[in-house]
Amino acid sequence: MSPKGRVSLRGIRKEFGRFVALDDIDLDIEPVEFFALLGPSGSGKTTTLRLVAGLDTPDEGTLTVDGVDVTFAPPGERDVAMVFQNYALYPHMTVRDNIAFPLKMAKAPASSIDELVREAAAKVRIDHLLHRRPGQLSGGQQQRCALARAIVRKPKLFLLDEPLSNLDAQLRLETRVELKKLQRNLNVTAIYVTHDQEEAMTLADRMAIFLEGTIKQIGTPAEVFDHPNCVEVAAFIGSPPMNIIPAALNGRTLTIEGHSVALHRDPGHPPGPVIVGIRPGSLRIDPEGIPTQLYLQENMGETWLLNLKLGEMIVKMRVAHSERSAEGETVPISFAPGAIHLFDAETGLRVQVN
Amino acid sequence: MNVYRHARLLRTIVLMIVTGALLLVWVLPLIWAFVVSLKSEREVLAYPPSVVFEPTWSNYVDALFGSFSIVDSLLTSTIVATATTVLTIALAVPAAYAFARLRLPAKRPLGFYTLATQMVPPVGLVIPYFLILNRLSWLDTYHGMVIVYLTFSLPFAIWLMVSYMEDIPWEMEEAAFLDRASRLQTLWHIVIPQVRGGIAVTVIFVFLNAWNEFLFAVQLGGNTVRPVTVAMYNFVSVEQTLWAKLSAAALVAMLPVVIIGIAAQRQIVKGLTVGAVKGGARK
Ligand SMILES: Nc1ncnc2c1ncn2[C@@H]1O[C@H](COP(=O)(O)OP(=O)(O)O)[C@@H](O)[C@H]1O
Ligand SMILES: [Mg+2]
Repeated sequence: MSPKGRVSLRGIRKEFGRFVALDDIDLDIEPVEFFALLGPSGSGKTTTLRLVAGLDTPDEGTLTVDGVDVTFAPPGERDVAMVFQNYALYPHMTVRDNIAFPLKMAKAPASSIDELVREAAAKVRIDHLLHRRPGQLSGGQQQRCALARAIVRKPKLFLLDEPLSNLDAQLRLETRVELKKLQRNLNVTAIYVTHDQEEAMTLADRMAIFLEGTIKQIGTPAEVFDHPNCVEVAAFIGSPPMNIIPAALNGRTLTIEGHSVALHRDPGHPPGPVIVGIRPGSLRIDPEGIPTQLYLQENMGETWLLNLKLGEMIVKMRVAHSERSAEGETVPISFAPGAIHLFDAETGLRVQVN
Repeated sequence: MNVYRHARLLRTIVLMIVTGALLLVWVLPLIWAFVVSLKSEREVLAYPPSVVFEPTWSNYVDALFGSFSIVDSLLTSTIVATATTVLTIALAVPAAYAFARLRLPAKRPLGFYTLATQMVPPVGLVIPYFLILNRLSWLDTYHGMVIVYLTFSLPFAIWLMVSYMEDIPWEMEEAAFLDRASRLQTLWHIVIPQVRGGIAVTVIFVFLNAWNEFLFAVQLGGNTVRPVTVAMYNFVSVEQTLWAKLSAAALVAMLPVVIIGIAAQRQIVKGLTVGAVKGGARK
């Protein structure tokens, strides 16, 4: 049996009144893939997920699952399960009845229901809580109950809308690991909505970066992190994200705030303004470098983050404890020419440097 | 002595006094009626009212089994009020769901006219209703009476149920749709169990209204359909008013109301407060 759960979105557009929530979305999700929709709040991730679930229909475009056009199919016919951000557990039913509900609606034989419920509950380790009501569960337990309800009937597609956002930090880390294991065991396509890039980076096989209703980039976490294809993605990915610095390019020569740096090779970009992206960790202290003023330093635990004044801008730089300085001091900085990202000042698109 | 504890004690005392005073206003007429119902008709008319007297249950015996027995009319009231309540709930729950959830054409005007029916003074409706029922030969029939009561109870019940249903998160129903539940299954398995408190409140209000109704009962009823509110009137005639028997009959007629009130007390309080808290928290 070939794996199921290939999802394709083609030219999807969704409007709420005059507001365009999604504009020309193209997306292909492979079977058994853990796919993250990552983007800031309000960028259209949930809207996309709801279209896939069938809870909303697009104004334009088509949606196919395993080659079948399901753009306007009702949710019940799509064989998808969803974990809602606030779980949407049925408060008047016990955990057992919550998990059994999808089976009952699918008219599973009564004799098999008990066994399947127990199995699903055991997978998320809540089999000792079956007799409780959702109101008597902790946040983490409610979340597991929602997961169990979603996996119990072995759906083709598993949709998760910020499932970890209501948990505290510690529990979030633990559950993240389990979620990944669970998805691998189930061997099912998962679409995972999150605004937390760390979650997306660690969980996803691939991800799509959403910004203001459009997809800016699709790729593996490494691809997106190492080769952001536009300034917007560059400014979003990483914590803190890379420094975005206006500069001028002329052949191989890059000029930042009046200081010239030679690149390894000519990027072949017409001379003129460009935008330079440098990760805070790619900057280094260099007596020969561009002078900056230390504005503020923040303790990040393992490292320190220096906020440096370069002209009117603040540039962030990650340093070891030993490299801390005093506020107001001059800190000369430089970077390896291979460590920078270059973007066209006009279009914001990536210019290949190396 | 702790100042705060003082203040709290004072507040408790003031609260008790105010509550007690309000309770007295409600309960005093009942106590009066009960005392009157234990007197003989002659003693009732004594002035100043006698405080010491020989209590008797004979008025209750008369009210129940005498020449103006209210037993038949108690049965009539039960049938009318129960039928009204059952039909109201059966129709109001799906109607309220439609108002709360479905995209209907003309939903807003429909909602307005549903409520507008509640704004017409009942007296203005008695004569039209009389003429209509007369034309249909439905005067003094159970179905005629129940249908008239439905015209009042349905809008009220729909309006009440809509607010309970709107409090249920829509996502909960969406979760059910994804689990292949149909609209009707969702209504039955997800919505109705969660508005049980609201249904209980509605049942009580509708039943009590139908039970206590007098104006329409007296105009549109007759010898076949004579609810207890009308039957009690037999103790009032041009020549005299039999206060003691009237009081006894009234107290008997109140009994089901009181029993339902006590039995459903928890549901009512829950139904009223749950809606309030949820609605408040969401704003
Ligand atoms: N039902 C709706 N009606 C109107 N606007 C909506 C609706 N659903 C979402 N939106 C708007 O669409 C945009 C995208 O929303 P959403 O997909 O929920 O974003 P997110 O990426 O945070 O999940 C937001 O600006 C939101 O306000
Ligand atoms: Mg969202």
